[in-house]
Amino acid sequence: MTFNYHEPTSIRDAIDLGARFRRESRFLAGGTDLIIQIHRGRCAPRQVVSLHRVPGLDAIDVNGTITLGSLVTHRRLERAPEFQGALRALVESAEVIGGHQIRNVATVGGNIVNASPAADVVPVLITLDATVTCLGPEGERTMPLDGFASAPGVTALHPDELLTRATFPRLAPHSATAFLKAGRRRAMEISVVCVAARLTLDASFERCVDVRIALGAVAPTTIRARAAERSLEGRLLTDETMREAGRIAATECQPISDVRASARYRSLLVTALVPRALARCAERIRGGAS
Amino acid sequence: MPLTLTVNGDAHQVLAEPHRTLLEVLRTDLGLTGTKENCLEAECGVCTVLLDGAAVNACILLAAQCQGRSIVTIEGLAAPGDMHPLQRAFIDHGAVQCGYCIPGMILSAKAYLDDNPEPSEDQVRQALAGNLCRCTGYQKITEAVMSAARTCRGAPRVPRGALSVGGLGAITGASARLSGPPA
Repeated sequence: MTFNYHEPTSIRDAIDLGARFRRESRFLAGGTDLIIQIHRGRCAPRQVVSLHRVPGLDAIDVNGTITLGSLVTHRRLERAPEFQGALRALVESAEVIGGHQIRNVATVGGNIVNASPAADVVPVLITLDATVTCLGPEGERTMPLDGFASAPGVTALHPDELLTRATFPRLAPHSATAFLKAGRRRAMEISVVCVAARLTLDASFERCVDVRIALGAVAPTTIRARAAERSLEGRLLTDETMREAGRIAATECQPISDVRASARYRSLLVTALVPRALARCAERIRGGAS
Repeated sequence: MPLTLTVNGDAHQVLAEPHRTLLEVLRTDLGLTGTKENCLEAECGVCTVLLDGAAVNACILLAAQCQGRSIVTIEGLAAPGDMHPLQRAFIDHGAVQCGYCIPGMILSAKAYLDDNPEPSEDQVRQALAGNLCRCTGYQKITEAVMSAARTCRGAPRVPRGALSVGGLGAITGASARLSGPPA
């Protein structure tokens, strides 16, 4: 089960290796999923291309639009001073992944391409209208993150492509984000349900101008609760409209029953957590965190 | 493939196939068995070592990825015959029973205290979330780390049993306990 190991030192060399080996090879970032999959015999790449010596993929850039390099670790995300305010959902989703040992190495790009329906950072990025950029021998492709995954573990990434970054626009004024995760315990837990929200209020802080709600672990991929979003747009944000959005969101997901929770419980969690996430956004906007 | 690994300050030459993990090389090739082996899936934390000062799970790290970086195992935490304040505190507080998880616990705590010398008890519990102990419970371990933190800051030790137990709850993320939900 051994493989050949490569450590390219430029992105061009990494892409060349990917193009040469195509389906025989896998890019290695933090390895918190890939190495375990290899150990379990679920994938057996003949070539492993480690990215840790490729410069420039681990940058966080906040000039104009905000860009997260695919090798940004969850630890970097947690500590990024830029995300402690209105974008705090990024911190909240990163800081509940695994333990410190995982967050020190696991990457944002890995979280995206692994395409787990229970991914924690992905729903936050979806609420931020993030795009992802893939680089291959044919050049770059940029596409919305929403829809990038089509099934558990399956994305639009081609075998010879490398995900290089996720990009999203700055938040509008009077906006904030929030992320909530329900698990059976507080740490080292795969989400039973996770909910991300981004809310923009009008100048009176009462009316919803724009909203995004994304749900994790309740469908084969991370999904947006579009009907719930529509139910809020242009309306006053009240306990009742937020609760209604939660009820609608629960009708938009297709949770399964598994070892972690029943489908019914997951639906109830969506009903409860969506209004909480929205309320937390509103608190942050009114409290001046935006 | 030939690898040069810097472990506890010493450079070691080893010949290891590319798929071999740092954990295997540490234990088998270098004989450093203080780093323990258990789940092999980064769930339990007994294989925790420091890589460039950060706590990582050696069981899912390829040895090949560690070339040119600094690795510290429990054997290298203090000079031979000496003890790090964390090791001393774990003994003083009775935080060790079977001992299997302890090297990983101590290295996770070391990495955390290096960045956060004045942690709260809750922060210590969070810092050790990736390290499972199946015998002592975590109270004495937490007390030991809090005590070691004080020692490292140069403050006098506080007798054990002086700390309270943190609350439990399952809704995290916003990590705070949520107040006033609308539902």
